[in-house]
Amino acid sequence: MCRWSLILACSVSIALAGLSLPAYGEETPRLTFAQLVDSIRANLEVTQKIKSFAGKEVEIQGFIVPAGLPDLSFFLLSRVSSIGNYCCEAPVGQDETVYVFAASAPRISFDPLKVYKVHGIFEAGVKPDNQYGISLFRIRQARVEEAVGAKIMKVGETTASPTGK
Amino acid sequence: MTIFAVALTYLRGRLVASSFTAFSVALGVALVISTFLLIRGIKDGFIEGTTDYNLIVGAKGSPTQLVLNVVFRIDVAPPNILHTIYEQLQADTRVDLAVPVALGDAYQGFRYVSTTADYFKNVPWRRKTFTFAEGRLFRNDAVEHPAYEAVLGAQVARQIGLNRGDQFYQGEEMAEYPLTVVGILRPTHGPDDRAIFFSLASFWGMNEVARQMTVKPLTAVLVRPKRLSDLPSLHREFNVAPETQAVLPSSVLLNIFNLLSLAEEVLKMILGIVALVVFLYLFVAMYSATLERKREVATMRAIGARRGIILLIVLLESATIALIGGAVGIAGGYGLAYLGAQIVAARGGLAMNPLVFTPLQFVVLAGVVVLGTLAGLIPAILAYRTEVAENLAPLS
Repeated sequence: MCRWSLILACSVSIALAGLSLPAYGEETPRLTFAQLVDSIRANLEVTQKIKSFAGKEVEIQGFIVPAGLPDLSFFLLSRVSSIGNYCCEAPVGQDETVYVFAASAPRISFDPLKVYKVHGIFEAGVKPDNQYGISLFRIRQARVEEAVGAKIMKVGETTASPTGK
Repeated sequence: MTIFAVALTYLRGRLVASSFTAFSVALGVALVISTFLLIRGIKDGFIEGTTDYNLIVGAKGSPTQLVLNVVFRIDVAPPNILHTIYEQLQADTRVDLAVPVALGDAYQGFRYVSTTADYFKNVPWRRKTFTFAEGRLFRNDAVEHPAYEAVLGAQVARQIGLNRGDQFYQGEEMAEYPLTVVGILRPTHGPDDRAIFFSLASFWGMNEVARQMTVKPLTAVLVRPKRLSDLPSLHREFNVAPETQAVLPSSVLLNIFNLLSLAEEVLKMILGIVALVVFLYLFVAMYSATLERKREVATMRAIGARRGIILLIVLLESATIALIGGAVGIAGGYGLAYLGAQIVAARGGLAMNPLVFTPLQFVVLAGVVVLGTLAGLIPAILAYRTEVAENLAPLS
C-alpha cells in the first residue's frame, strides 16, 4: 500500500512538474544590446535569431534617450546614457538604439543615469518612418519601469541564453 | 412637504451661515481644482509648445536656459556660438535639417527670433505647419544688404496691432534699423505666436558687435537627424567639444516635470489639509445648527416625524451645502486656472490651455458631497437622538 502511495505521489509530482514547464518557457525573453550588435550584418539586415523574436513580447534594458515628446510616448533605448559624456564607450548608432513606442505615456520619473526595463512587442528590420526616420529595432506597445540593479552588457559581452536565464 | 423641501427651508432659515459654509467649501474645491488644472496646463503647455527638433546645439552653460530661451523664449539668451558650428552641422551627413537661430532683444516684450526660411519649412516630422494669415516670409537677404523685414507671430500682431507695411523699432539706437512687417502668421498655439521673426542678416546688421565680426554669431542651432539612432552620437560629439553643448529638449523638460512632480506632491499634502479644514468647518457649522434647532426638531418629532426622517433631513442639508459649494468651487477653480494661465501668458511665459474637462471634476464633486454628508453625520445622529420631552419643556 505504502509503495503504491509512493508511486502515485511521484506520478503526480512529475505531472505537475510537466504542467509547470510551459509556463516557464513562456516567460518574456530578455534581449541585450550585445545580442543586437552581434546580429547586425553589413547591409543592416538582422540575423534569423533576432528576427525570430519579431512579433513577440521581449524585455530589454537600457538608458532612455528622450528623442520624442517629453511625455515619453516615444523614446530611444540606448546601451549608453545620454549624459555620460566623459565615460563609457561612445554610442555608435542603429545597433545600439531601440526605438520604443509606449502603449501609453509611462508614469516614470525620468533620470538619464538610471537603467529602465522595457517590455513590449519586438520588431526587427529596416523600416522608414516619416515621423521618426529609419529604424532597425523597435518595441511597440511598450511598458516601462525602472530596472533596479540592472547591468547593461558591453559590446561583445555575451549572455548565456536569449531568455537571460 | 418633502424631506428635501424641509432641508431647503432649514438652509434658507440660516441663509447667511449656510452661504458662508458653502462659500468655504467652494474656496477649498476651487483651490484643489485650479491647482491641478494649472499643473496639468503647464505640463501640457510644455509638451504642446516644444520643438520638433531633437537636438539643440548652443554655447556651454545651462541646458535649461538654452531650451527655455530658444524653444519657449522664457529665459535670457545664452552666450553665442559661431556660425561655423551651423556650417559644420549642415555639412554633417547624419543631419536632415539644421536651422540657425539668433535671439536677443524684443519689441514690447515680444522676442526677436532671427533665423532662415528653413525654420518655416514644411517637413513630414513637424507637428505644426506655418501658414500666413497675410503677407509673406522675409527675404533671404545677403549679409551686406539686410532687408530688415519682419514676420509677426499671431499673438504679436493681435496685441501690438501692427499691420503689413508698418515699421517699428525699440530703443533710440535702433531707429536707424526699423523693421518692416511683411507677413503675419496664423496661430500655432505655441511660443512662435509670441515671436517676431526676421533674417539673420537683419539681426547681424542691427547689432554693432555682430557687424564687426568676420564669423557671425548665433544663439543656437536646431538639429533634426536623418536617423534618430544617430542622435546619441551627435549629442555626445557636441557635448565633448570645448565650446558647445548639445541638449535634448525633451530631457530638459522631463527634468522640469520631475521638479513639478515634487511640487505637486507637496501641494497634494497642503490641499489634503485644506480639505480637512473645510470638512471640520462644515461639521462645526452643522453641529451648532443642530444644537440651535433642538426645540424645532423636538416639535417635529412631537407632531409625528420619525427619527429616521430627522436624520435624513440633517444629512440632506449637509449634502446640499457640499453640493452647492462643490459645484461653485469647480466653476471657480476653472475661473482661477484661466486667470492664472492668462497671467503666465501675459508675462511672456508659457502658452497653455488649462480648461480641460476630465472625469476628475465629477470625482471631486462626488467626493465633496460624500465628505459633506459625512460631516453632517454626527449632527444628524445628535438630531436623531433628540428627546421630545426634554427639549419641549418650558424655557423658563
